[in-house]
Amino acid sequence: MSKALFDKYGGFKSVSRIVMAFYDKVLDSDQIGDYFDEIDMPKLIDHQTKFISALLGGPVSYSDERLRRAHASLQLTHEDFDEVSRLLQESLAEHGFEPQDIKIVISEIEARRSSILSAGVV
Amino acid sequence: MSITAINQQLLRAIGVGIAVVRGDNLQFLFTNEPFAEWFGKPEPDATLPDVLMDIDMEKVRESVNETGRFTGEISVKLKRRTLVIALSISSADAEGNNLFVVECQNITRIRELESMIDSYSSMVERNTRELEREKERVERLLLNLMPRSVYEEFKTFGVVTPQLYESVSVVMLDFVDFTRFSSTHDPTVTLGELNDIFTAFDRIAEQFGCERIKTIGDAYLAVSGMPEPSPDHMRAVANCAVRFIRYLERRNQSHQYKWEARIGLGTGSAVGSVVGIQKYVYDVFGSAVNLAARLQAFAKPMAVVAPDTMKEYLVEEFHLDDLGKQEIRSFGEMRLMRVSPGIELARQAGRF
Repeated sequence: MSKALFDKYGGFKSVSRIVMAFYDKVLDSDQIGDYFDEIDMPKLIDHQTKFISALLGGPVSYSDERLRRAHASLQLTHEDFDEVSRLLQESLAEHGFEPQDIKIVISEIEARRSSILSAGVV
Repeated sequence: MSITAINQQLLRAIGVGIAVVRGDNLQFLFTNEPFAEWFGKPEPDATLPDVLMDIDMEKVRESVNETGRFTGEISVKLKRRTLVIALSISSADAEGNNLFVVECQNITRIRELESMIDSYSSMVERNTRELEREKERVERLLLNLMPRSVYEEFKTFGVVTPQLYESVSVVMLDFVDFTRFSSTHDPTVTLGELNDIFTAFDRIAEQFGCERIKTIGDAYLAVSGMPEPSPDHMRAVANCAVRFIRYLERRNQSHQYKWEARIGLGTGSAVGSVVGIQKYVYDVFGSAVNLAARLQAFAKPMAVVAPDTMKEYLVEEFHLDDLGKQEIRSFGEMRLMRVSPGIELARQAGRF
């Protein structure tokens, strides 16, 4: 189903725009922007390209274990997670994603909430 | 509005950062909005190196003198973003004063997109490599089901044309008491034994120019002379057959389970083709195959039986015992012989 999303919305061509919009929003966010303050741009872009491609069923997949390791040192909170989720919804909506497709994407990241917030957040 | 005023307005309005500095003391004469946004509004007596920290003025002067222009890149951290700014510095003259004109372009977006493309292409490349590996696995699997030349035809045309081979030979082997063995042993034991033996047979077949077509339960069928024609196909199957027997004899000396086989050889014509559309099986049909199957059933344990028609091709290399005329179903009466290793082969075998 999410394989179709990546293709349905035009593959990398539209994913790149969503990544850029999302990247801007994340950096501008007061809630989570600071997490990315010290990360250099190529690394952050790499992370977000893969993240969004994976969510849309593009040619990459993240195991939950990899997500866990990537976020383990960050001490993220539920508020942080919700903020990312909100910014992603915004980005998708601005790029013409239909509401039901946004719902699918969001449920995909909800399913990974516990992996991403594994560092002791209840 | 004077031309100068219009020019100044224009310089303020464009998205390129512009600064004009004096050539002698490098103090700013003019900066526009974008420049100030990226580097801050310079103090009245600030110089270019004060504002563009990383810049090496020696290099700038050198490059401007040589080529009229200096180009470079600097990065500026603005809040959380690292901006990448492309610099271009050239010299200009205004009323006898030597000036430097500094043009700055924000190429951050381009760099971000480049990074994204890098990231994406690495994902795609990895995927491609995985697909490549998958393709190889499928190919290996298909090569187990059909000879390579048939596979190539299949890959190129999507179909395999049944092909008649006028002159091929077949070796067919079947184990004695296999049914009893498999009903009294764990299936994994049976399978392990078959796997071990058939793998050895495959090696022998390959070495002597035969191609295994299939196994049906405990029966093993290999051909020679197809799909590649071979003038030696009768000797090839006979060589395989006697070595299958010898392999089993040797194996029985050291293994817990003893296996005996009957082997029939056949020669004649056969048709080879892929059968089925969803479940591909390369199979062979024809009198050579049927004959081998009949003679295999006729053979005594650990014996190889062949039709007398193969005699002139085998007589030099093998020991042949006449079995007289026998009635073979659907072939009628035919003269048969038993094939054993010739003196040379027996002598070699004795050495090991």
